[in-house]
Amino acid sequence: MKLKDLKPGQKAKVIKVDHNGNLTRRLFEIGIMPGVELNMISHHPFKGPVVFELGNATFALGQRAAAVVEVDKIESD
Amino acid sequence: MAIVMIGNPNVGKSAVLSRLTDRPLLVSNYSGTSVEITATQLKSAGKTIDIYDTPGLYSMECESAEQQVINELINSQKVDLILNIVDAVNLKRNLVLTYELLELGIPMVLVINQIDRARQMGIEINCQLLSQILKCEVICFSANTGEGLMELMSLIDKGNKEGKTKDKETGQPVTIIKAEFAGNSCNGNCANCSRSFQEIDSEDLKRAGKAADTARMVTREFGTKSGSWMDKAEKIIDKPFLGTIILLFVAYLAFLALMKFIELSEGPISDLLAPVNSVLEAFILTHLPDSIFTTILAKAVPEGLIIPFTIIMPAMLMVSIIMSLIEDTGLLPRYSVVLERVGSFFGLSGQAVIPLSLGFGCRTPAVMATRILPNQQQRFIAIVLLSVVIPCAATLGILASVIATFEASLMVIMVTMIMTLIILGYVLSRIMSTEEVFIYELPPLRIPLWSNLWTKLKIRFSGFFTEVLPLLLVMSIAVRALIESGLLNHLQSIENITRMLFGIPAEAFAAVLLTIFQRYLAPLILLNLDLSAREATIAISMIALSLPCLPVMVMTVREIGFKGLAKVLAIGMSTSILVGIILNLLLP
Repeated sequence: MKLKDLKPGQKAKVIKVDHNGNLTRRLFEIGIMPGVELNMISHHPFKGPVVFELGNATFALGQRAAAVVEVDKIESD
Repeated sequence: MAIVMIGNPNVGKSAVLSRLTDRPLLVSNYSGTSVEITATQLKSAGKTIDIYDTPGLYSMECESAEQQVINELINSQKVDLILNIVDAVNLKRNLVLTYELLELGIPMVLVINQIDRARQMGIEINCQLLSQILKCEVICFSANTGEGLMELMSLIDKGNKEGKTKDKETGQPVTIIKAEFAGNSCNGNCANCSRSFQEIDSEDLKRAGKAADTARMVTREFGTKSGSWMDKAEKIIDKPFLGTIILLFVAYLAFLALMKFIELSEGPISDLLAPVNSVLEAFILTHLPDSIFTTILAKAVPEGLIIPFTIIMPAMLMVSIIMSLIEDTGLLPRYSVVLERVGSFFGLSGQAVIPLSLGFGCRTPAVMATRILPNQQQRFIAIVLLSVVIPCAATLGILASVIATFEASLMVIMVTMIMTLIILGYVLSRIMSTEEVFIYELPPLRIPLWSNLWTKLKIRFSGFFTEVLPLLLVMSIAVRALIESGLLNHLQSIENITRMLFGIPAEAFAAVLLTIFQRYLAPLILLNLDLSAREATIAISMIALSLPCLPVMVMTVREIGFKGLAKVLAIGMSTSILVGIILNLLLP
């Protein structure tokens, strides 16, 4: 599923970042690459940015950037 | 000896620098770019050490202006030591840059900052082990508490004593231009820092892997994270609805604080200046030969000093404080997030709400505040909106009294202003489209370091005396000369034109033009005329939506140059004229 489809509070693991030149590189630099875990915090309405936690840092991605990240939900026990 | 501080955004480079010395002297601007590098000097063992603070960078591989400038600095061989500032809490990501820097082969010291915050979160870093792995000096540091400061200073001293003084005469790539950009390096917009057309190659992945492994080896998590009240505050601010309300409220508070401060300080400062002004005027009249030039000077100089000191100076002081607070507490990037949708309509980052709301108080420092916007195009759009549409408190006050006198339609004027804001903003954003991908790092909310605030304040505020005041004086003299020359009396001849186009008498139009010179006088000119409610409505709308006042123009020149100002004035004048024509056609 895409990053933007995660619900607030859900944990997920990044499985793939779509090939999008520039964008992929930028996401990589902030730490988004296959294998990392992140924690969805919130969505902003009207297709606004999504806010999530990666490691100990918090990031906001616009819809365009978020659409490029494929994740797998991690079910919490 | 020359030291360069390099690190990810938000690690606290400036805070570390503040700890090393509290006297940032110069901020250098690489010609042709908008990259600002702070340079400070430290004296040790009789020799001077230059320390350069650079904007945050995620990777040396990216092709942003920041990276190129840092590269240039390093390649010019001025650099004897790299201080790689790293965030203890985000070691895995920070170490990627560290490994890139190590490949450069320049002596390096790793400063692991925010070690106190890491401890609070239950993270412990083994600095000795890290030092062994990386084969360079590693210091566990906290800019907040000062931990590690002595160690760092002695390391720097050691390097200095070992005779590494480069001859400064050779190759000066750095030219000193403006001093208020210091400490304002990261606005949170990651897309700015990592502009690159390179794909991610195996080298990058290897480095990322090494960084992750190293981080794991030296980090130990103990106990549970103790949720401080800052964490709780952060959770609230990052909620979409509640957070938006809080942030807008803070912007409103900032505006109120500005208003109150101007109100409180105006009286005492005017009282202080009154005798100075009369002395100045008398001095000029007695010591210079009798001529039109002397009369102009005698009036213009005190005039050119009153407004800056009574209103601009306190306003600039307050805005400097507000800007620094919003930056250092970590609130700034959150505005971008929360207002992203609204902002993209205007082609602006959500952060623009700060200068725009401050503009309702006083627009001169608000124009200065546009510096927090990520690029030149956005700054231009914000400055245009501030100059042409946003009415400052003084304007609002006088407009209110004039509206009341003529019973002009407040509703029409307000609607016109709002429509103009929307249309102008939209048009500008389409013309100057900057396709920005939205990636922002939200730093943790924190209580600002007072030393950092003080440093930023000193730098921002000193600009008032060194740049704003002189320019204002010169322009006041020029303007006064224009008024005295009687040119404006010739406006009678265009009575027919103004009547036809705008439906207002020529004197009313003169008032529109005069808004530049004396913002406060312009509407008052209207009071001397006999206008119908309709005429007054149109005239007031045209005045409210026209040219900025002189101090704002001076500040605009400072931010975007004379060409930029010319564009702003052209837009202002056209807007005013268009509004007049349209209202003349639409109103019954």
